[in-house]
Amino acid sequence: MALLEVRDLSVVFQRKGEEPFRAVDGVSFDVEPGQTVGLVGESGCGKSVTSLAIMGLLPKRGVTITGSVSYDGTDLLKLSDKEMRDRRGRDLGMVFQDPLSSLNPVVPIGLQVTEVLERHRGMARKEAMVEAKTLLDKVGIPDPNRRLKEYPHQLSGGMRQRALIAIALACRPKLLIADEPTTALDVTIQAQILTLMKELVHDLGTALVMITHDLGVVAGLCDEVNVLYGGKVVEKAMRHKLFAEPRHPYTHGLLASIPRLDAPRGEKLTPIKGSVADNIPWSQGCAFAPRCPNALDVCTRETPAEEAQLGRLLRCHNPVVPGTPAAEEVSV
Amino acid sequence: MSETLVSVQDMKVHFPIKRGVFFDKTVGYVYAVDGVDLEIKRGETYGLVGESGCGKSTLGRAMLRLNEPTDGKMVFDGQDFSSLRGEELRKMRRRIQMVFQDPLSSLDPRQSVESILVEGLRAHDLDKGKEETDKRLRELLSAVGLPTSALRKYPHEFSGGQRQRIGIARALALNPDLIVADEPVSALDVSVQAQVVNLLEDLQEQFGLTYLVIAHDLAVVKHISDRVGVMYLGGIVEEATADDLYEEPLHPYTRALLSAIPVPDPEVEDRRERILLAGDLPSPANPPSGCRFHTRCPWRQETKCDTERPALRELKPGHKVACHWAEQIRSGELQPHAVKPELVEEGDGLSPDVPLVGPASVTEALG
Ligand SMILES: Nc1ncnc2c1ncn2[C@@H]1O[C@H](COP(=O)(O)OP(=O)(O)OP(=O)(O)O)[C@@H](O)[C@H]1O
Ligand SMILES: Nc1ncnc2c1ncn2[C@@H]1O[C@H](COP(=O)(O)OP(=O)(O)OP(=O)(O)O)[C@@H](O)[C@H]1O
Ligand code: SF4
Ligand code: SF4
Ligand SMILES: [Mg+2]
Ligand SMILES: [Mg+2]
Repeated sequence: MALLEVRDLSVVFQRKGEEPFRAVDGVSFDVEPGQTVGLVGESGCGKSVTSLAIMGLLPKRGVTITGSVSYDGTDLLKLSDKEMRDRRGRDLGMVFQDPLSSLNPVVPIGLQVTEVLERHRGMARKEAMVEAKTLLDKVGIPDPNRRLKEYPHQLSGGMRQRALIAIALACRPKLLIADEPTTALDVTIQAQILTLMKELVHDLGTALVMITHDLGVVAGLCDEVNVLYGGKVVEKAMRHKLFAEPRHPYTHGLLASIPRLDAPRGEKLTPIKGSVADNIPWSQGCAFAPRCPNALDVCTRETPAEEAQLGRLLRCHNPVVPGTPAAEEVSV
Repeated sequence: MSETLVSVQDMKVHFPIKRGVFFDKTVGYVYAVDGVDLEIKRGETYGLVGESGCGKSTLGRAMLRLNEPTDGKMVFDGQDFSSLRGEELRKMRRRIQMVFQDPLSSLDPRQSVESILVEGLRAHDLDKGKEETDKRLRELLSAVGLPTSALRKYPHEFSGGQRQRIGIARALALNPDLIVADEPVSALDVSVQAQVVNLLEDLQEQFGLTYLVIAHDLAVVKHISDRVGVMYLGGIVEEATADDLYEEPLHPYTRALLSAIPVPDPEVEDRRERILLAGDLPSPANPPSGCRFHTRCPWRQETKCDTERPALRELKPGHKVACHWAEQIRSGELQPHAVKPELVEEGDGLSPDVPLVGPASVTEALG
């Protein structure tokens, strides 16, 4: 049994007078201690909703969550709000894209860290202060003594993100969910933060769920990668396998469409046609069909099922044959 | 191809920081652009990269005189653009167009695509009767790959990538020589970015356009540009052809920047040497003395680095660098060392009375 087992997780939003909207659609994955699992996909594919559902942070009204999220054998979806709040401080940590919105603006950074230490690790104030300083130090915040007394707005974006990681680390969570933790940061700062997260996983055996739209980040950090499209996992494999031989037309198309720093100049990019606005509902076939160069007739009639094959999960009627160059024609 | 279209000379843009009840007291300046020289040849794409706040947009805007430069000038096609006034300025403005990052906020939501495009034509007396204008509009849409039915629609009815096409059509409408594109793809979904990158490339070929592409994504810039300038805190620290810059980055900052960019290939990522920089970007309101990179530079030396500002100089043909020690770094005579992160402060200086500790900046192999 894995530390975290997400099974068939679905999230449906229902607004008054509107059609129900299935933001996450039967997502399953496991995370082991010391392992990093990536959720990757473009804007709106359901990455954040998945993480919020796991953490019990979605609003109660107008939201239906089905499936199970078993953490160390307990289904988190069945816990009460209070039990969940307790878990969040202790076992589950989360780092968001925008650190300012998840830090308390009127409480000094130091107090935000010591609070967690006192509440979840039962430390006395003095002891917590010393530990807080060590934590800020560890995440690379210069002059931690002084920073402890400062408010979030006094820190730069990179420093805030570190402070947030320090808070997440304060309770030594066994599972950390990071939702685009570096998207708002400059690349040189991103490199620092990603290195820090790698050390965490390696040194403390933290299980990490890494959510990002950046395939480069995934390539360097994640053991297993889940590619999401329109709320469903369309391809899942270990990173080496996925990048060396993307089989789903969406994964394949994404990799062909991003410029690589190490590619020879003059190499043309092969875009994916259209945009997510062209998607059809999964209930009518494959959501990607209107944009897919491999689409067959069956793709707009039957929803492709998830199939396992040689260390890979694939949801596609007509996967890319290994070694195929990217599709050429592209119109709007 | 080798004819110079744009020449920027010692361009400076300093924004006053105002305080006081009526904001009438200037207490300092943001040195957003602080002495930039660059040349863009006709028909080429010049890419400008650098991290947030280094002054890329301000430089682009100053070139278009959307911000009045504090100092320096831009010569466009042999004429001093900075000194043009009135009608002459208006005429010249037609020849330099801009494409913005966020197509939605740069397009008026109440205007149909047709009226957005016609407005530009009218402003420059290019609206020569219904028939001709209609023909021109159809040409423009087909050039950017939108159906003619788009004309009657409004910006919100399009996806991000399509909106960016409208922004490009608007710029193209005036038959410009130079297009300044500020982060043209960074607001777009990954799967859509390549559509716009390819479009820009095709249009350049078709219409012989010259581009200044501003972006923080070095992979995009390297892909699209002939030559690249790397900015750090208001100045260009390195300039070279895109390939040269990648093959042999000479400035310590460029080296760190290149090494920090993730490549979507696990094989490459596993083998990469990463130069981790310590600390944050200093504030452009209080830039470090001497070489502006000295507070984070793993090659920083005892002499010169914190006292003399290095000039941008040619180290090998077509490859310029602003570093006192570029030769020694290139030859390997100087090796990187650990850097303690410094506290970055607005206004007051550094006060490290407590010893600064923390993960030093180390060159380490990730794997
Ligand atoms: N509270 C909500 N009510 C209704 N719909 C929602 C809600 N939260 C998210 N959604 C919708 O669910 C879908 C998935 O959203 P989500 O935030 O998970 O995307 P994402 O993959 O994280 O995208 P991004 O990369 O932009 O962060 C989107 O279409 C979004 O509009
Ligand atoms: N109108 C203004 N008044 C005062 N300061 C300004 C103004 N415009 C820009 N700045 C400052 O000048 C500096 C350079 O800003 P600029 O927008 O040129 O950076 P950039 O390199 O384009 O960054 P980004 O990648 O975030 O777009 C920043 O510190 C910014 O806060
Ligand atoms: S199921 Fe069909 S439309 Fe969907 S990705 Fe596979 S081939 Fe393309
Ligand atoms: S001049 Fe000195 S501080 Fe600046 S980049 Fe060169 S070695 Fe580093
Ligand atoms: Mg999100
Ligand atoms: Mg900018």
